[in-house]
Amino acid sequence: MQVLRYLGKRALTYLVMIFLTTSAGYFLAVSSLKPALLEQEKIPRPSPEQVANSFRLLGLDPNLNPWERYIQWLGGILTRWDWGRSPNGAYVNAEFADRVMISTRLFIASIILTLIIGVALGVYSAARQYKFQDRAITSYSYLVHILPAPIAYFLVQLGAIGINDAVGERLFFVTGISTPGIEPGWPAFVDLVAHYAVPTFAMTVFGWAGYQIAQRQYLLDNVNADFVRTARAKGLTRNQAITRHALRVSFIPVAQSIAFTIPAIFTGGFFAEAIFAWPGVGLWSIDAIGKQDVNVATAMLAYGSVIFAIGAILADFATTLVDPRVRVQ
Amino acid sequence: MTNLIDTVAEVDEARAADVVIGKGRIIFRRFMRNKTAVTGLAIFLGLFAFSLFGGFLTTWDKETIDPLNIGMGPSPEHLLGTSQAGIDLLALVVEGTRVSIFIGLIVGGLSVLISAVYGCSMAFFGGKVDSVMLFILEALIMMPAILVVAVATSGGGQSLKELPSWLLLIAVLLFFSWMGTARLVRSLAMSLMQRDYVKAAKYMGVPSMRIVRRHLVPNIGSLLVLDFTRGITGAILAEVAFSYIGIGIKLPDVSLGVLIGGATWQVSSFPWMFWVPLTVMFLLTGSLAMMNDGLRDAFDPTSTSIGRAKTKKKSK
Repeated sequence: MQVLRYLGKRALTYLVMIFLTTSAGYFLAVSSLKPALLEQEKIPRPSPEQVANSFRLLGLDPNLNPWERYIQWLGGILTRWDWGRSPNGAYVNAEFADRVMISTRLFIASIILTLIIGVALGVYSAARQYKFQDRAITSYSYLVHILPAPIAYFLVQLGAIGINDAVGERLFFVTGISTPGIEPGWPAFVDLVAHYAVPTFAMTVFGWAGYQIAQRQYLLDNVNADFVRTARAKGLTRNQAITRHALRVSFIPVAQSIAFTIPAIFTGGFFAEAIFAWPGVGLWSIDAIGKQDVNVATAMLAYGSVIFAIGAILADFATTLVDPRVRVQ
Repeated sequence: MTNLIDTVAEVDEARAADVVIGKGRIIFRRFMRNKTAVTGLAIFLGLFAFSLFGGFLTTWDKETIDPLNIGMGPSPEHLLGTSQAGIDLLALVVEGTRVSIFIGLIVGGLSVLISAVYGCSMAFFGGKVDSVMLFILEALIMMPAILVVAVATSGGGQSLKELPSWLLLIAVLLFFSWMGTARLVRSLAMSLMQRDYVKAAKYMGVPSMRIVRRHLVPNIGSLLVLDFTRGITGAILAEVAFSYIGIGIKLPDVSLGVLIGGATWQVSSFPWMFWVPLTVMFLLTGSLAMMNDGLRDAFDPTSTSIGRAKTKKKSK
């Protein structure tokens, strides 16, 4: 019960934060993005009055000052949960749901795989500190650190194309979600796997490094702690002592770091969606910013903040579950 | 009489043998002991020199188009080949490396400074000031930096348009790079304030500024130095990643990210355009990563790394 009250309090704090970051983001976007300038490039070129008129109907009146537009926009959200419209007339709310679904489908598998593989390899390499396996695994993780995500994904893409060429037929799709017009059942499933394989592989292989290094470090810090030495003195083998006593404690900081990697996955997602051409949240926001779309950019900022807050609260919750020493007051 | 002088000289010699070595020299020696770190430093300095003086290796500059060699591979005339537009790649890479190193050094250096000041003041003042500053910090961590970068660099607003894109990118990267370290510095400084030697110094009436200089800075120092190199790496990687997908640095400004990104879609027909800047980026970030470990050891006052003792052979 106390845990719930504590989590509720945290959620309230995060709500205030989300409100502040989103408002700041709105002001930044509204003062730097000018969709009216793009309209000038249309043929036939509309008159400034026509542009202003059509934007006013969309609730994007360029003649109002930022504060007035902010009040109008905030009013729409608070009274009707309406996040506004794009310069081309589309509703943000309607498109948002589709895009989030696509992104979630793309990331969920690799998020889970990354976490499991990273923590497992971290434990494995810590248990074999300075042996060959440890050196190989850990230096791979450090190598990944100096490789920017989009370039790593691109190299995986090149590799997949290479495999396709070598086999002589198209095993993997390197871009897109699915082939249009495929018949349901078994062929649709094969098609799905062929589209999923490359992005999921790329994001997993280049994603676990952070978890692996953190888990290895924390476990090694704990292996020499008094309670582990006591366990060994009782007659447990080194591996038993690690799995029964050191592992649980060393997982706590890793659980906390998950919260801070969630926004990183989100930003990594921008690159993944851009490289693999999945029209998810990330690609949408980059496109929208190119089209000077204030409302979509702000909605994405809010979405990012919400994802972060959920991650942080989950991390708190996980800590209270794992750590016997944490008592919430 | 002569005997007496001899004893004095002997005592002096003995003292000279275990003389206190200056802090700077200890750090330098510990760093030089780590072969990987020294190699990293050498590569980094080499690239730095290349970015400053590499222009002398070629007679072409980054604006001149060579109409006779458009999209040609490496040749004696163009050592690294030319771009799809006929511009000498060596000149482009020199310029790109300079921009990348410049961004890295400025963002890395300033963000360490900001995080040290911010984190230390949180730990010093505590209470209300601490919680307000922590709130601001967490709110900043929350914002997805990439969106802000995109909005700031692609906005149509007049005031921002006039700034060159690299300056804008530096500002935004700086704004979003210091929070993690600031949190670390805060927690470290808080625990240091509780240490016995800091308390003892306080009760002895040592002025606050001297406590900070003598006890806090050396203990946080290794973290800050490490974070400096890490910040450089982070900024270089962020620039490459952002420019690669088209936000960040934009033409006509050149950087490693712009070069790599521009060459991606023709990697099979113009492979040198892709692999040369990528190799340079690898050398740059790789050399910094190699230096990290050596730097941490060198600056850590509790370091247990020990070297060979230099013993003078007795002449007698």
